Amino acid sequence: MLSVLEALVFSTLDYAPALVFAALGAVLSERSGVVNVGVEGMMRAGAFAAAVASLAVPTPLGVVCGMAAGAALAAVHGYLCIRWRSDQVVSGMALNLVALAGGTFLLEALWSPTGTPPIEQLHRWVLPGLDQVPLLRALSGHSSLTYLAAVLPFLFHFALFRTPVGLRVRAVGEKPAAAATLGLSVPALRYGCVVGSGLLAGLGGAALSTSTLDRFEHHMPAGLGFMAVAAMVFGRWTPLGAFGAAAFFALGNALRIGLASSAPGLVEVIPQGFLLTLPYALTLLVLAAQGKKGAAPAALGTPYQPEAR
Amino acid sequence: MTDVTLRARLVRPFQTALPSVLSVALALAVCFLAIVASQGSLWVAARAYAEMAWGGFGDLPKLFAGADASALTRPWGETASKTALLTLTGLSVAVAFSVGLFNIGAQGQMMVGALSAAVLGGKLALPWPLHVAVCLAGAALAGAAYAEIAAALKLERGVHEVISTIMLNWIAVSLVENWLVVGPLRAQASGDNSISGTDEILASAQLPRLLGETSRLHAGILVAAALAVAVWYWLARTRYGFESRAVGLGPEAARAAGIPVAARVYQAMALSGALAGVAGAVLVMGTEHKFPATLGAPYGFDGIAISLIGQNHPLGVLASAALFGALRAGGTRMQLLGVHKSFPELIQGLALLFVAARLVWETLLSRFRREPAASATVEVPRA
Repeated sequence: MLSVLEALVFSTLDYAPALVFAALGAVLSERSGVVNVGVEGMMRAGAFAAAVASLAVPTPLGVVCGMAAGAALAAVHGYLCIRWRSDQVVSGMALNLVALAGGTFLLEALWSPTGTPPIEQLHRWVLPGLDQVPLLRALSGHSSLTYLAAVLPFLFHFALFRTPVGLRVRAVGEKPAAAATLGLSVPALRYGCVVGSGLLAGLGGAALSTSTLDRFEHHMPAGLGFMAVAAMVFGRWTPLGAFGAAAFFALGNALRIGLASSAPGLVEVIPQGFLLTLPYALTLLVLAAQGKKGAAPAALGTPYQPEAR
Repeated sequence: MTDVTLRARLVRPFQTALPSVLSVALALAVCFLAIVASQGSLWVAARAYAEMAWGGFGDLPKLFAGADASALTRPWGETASKTALLTLTGLSVAVAFSVGLFNIGAQGQMMVGALSAAVLGGKLALPWPLHVAVCLAGAALAGAAYAEIAAALKLERGVHEVISTIMLNWIAVSLVENWLVVGPLRAQASGDNSISGTDEILASAQLPRLLGETSRLHAGILVAAALAVAVWYWLARTRYGFESRAVGLGPEAARAAGIPVAARVYQAMALSGALAGVAGAVLVMGTEHKFPATLGAPYGFDGIAISLIGQNHPLGVLASAALFGALRAGGTRMQLLGVHKSFPELIQGLALLFVAARLVWETLLSRFRREPAASATVEVPRA
């Protein structure tokens, strides 16, 4: 029993960083008022670039390349949404389609249709002492990204709610015109947040291809980006809320895989499809229960036009 | 009709379509350069595009070399079956747009529609035309019911439809592909265990082939084209359609004018889901003849691209679906030259990205017009 629990925690911690980083990225962009459903595409770009770069350079540097790729895609999103006031959902979906087909095209052109050659995975850190304690040893043996994913949400939460920069970001997302009268540059702040969101989503993708697995596979990230957006909504657009939701989704995933292998009898009673449905159905229920109060930033999805009333 | 209105009638559709046409042309050009860069040869890229054209619109060189008519009808069949699906999902998205909703859930609605058609087609025993009609109607109802969940969540509980339809897509995938199709509804294995998907539907539920055995051209394209015209008529010429568009342009103003906003949203979303459901039925009854292990392609997401490239106009949807249907049918032939068959999807994604930048096009185009362009930017509802 203990070993099952251990395996469960271990696999959750292995899988969670991708989702956590991407969800934080979605929070950053949407808090500044720019809808980001392109997280899926940015993750794909990040996963691809990180794996490809890691074939040539050390893997940590490859992760940075993945982040840069996510940020590049996000910059396009920002340019269209902020400079040209495009529809933000449309632009995000377009980037998803481009990343999906573009990734497949490049993969086929450079290697094989299924995936890149294996790379050296990120170093897994064994925590001395902890790896001997039952149960707690599940916390040991993860890549640095897992430990970063455990700390970053708290830093982000502090930055968003306790620092002047965070206040500005929130102001731009709630009432950009008022923020502008105080001398803040709405476009600059939004560009910063959107590109930062791309960095985070790219990091999430890189976590998939350099830490969870050791290569880019053709279907990555297989809907994880949309799940990250769900985690953001579930967590009411706050970093800690999104973190909690992402961790919960990751646990649900580990539970599903764990149950299928350790208790096949249960899967006969409850079909696996039901377990797969859980995170999505729960998100819908929570959203429906929240009702019209909502928690979304007031100016979310509205392009900023200085001359508009 | 005065000379001025006649000119306006002929010129305005062209002007409206121009950003889309330019976007598609630009996407084709950029992707051409991508092949040149990846294959290192202008000649390969040109041949790849030629293959795509022959594979999509009909193999003219082969015909002139003395092949029989199947050189034309085979590509047409592939193009038509893809065009039918893209048209229906595109219409689904466009109808939701008309009341200001962004239906990302066409994929899920299509999936429940496809499953309904597969079940009705496999389990019922009815004479031929009736069976087809029952399957189409069942799929439309299932898709509509699934879409109404999102509409109800939006209207009663204020849940944004983009989020709820994404969730509903995954719920459909989990329940249909990961449970029903591999569990209770799985085809009975007869001897070898390699059969995937559900049982085959009966012959009486299949859409008839139109051009004989050499071409897979089936009646689905007629269903799709007829529905495109019907949706155009509904939106442009009926009271309900007019009221729906009013709701999409401004729900507050519509409410003030006495239009029952919630009822119009429910109706439009039901129609949107029904169209996606019919897309699923056409896939099952025309091409696959069963619910396959997976739907194969994200047709629902393609519908978003098709609808927006078609400027959310039913006939524009038909045109852009025909173009991308042909590119996709031809795309498989690029494989021989080392270009992945998903290449047309890259063209489609880039075209959508360029269409999203419509203000750029308007700014550029206004320089070539005498009068400044009116800022008609509200094509797409704000999310």
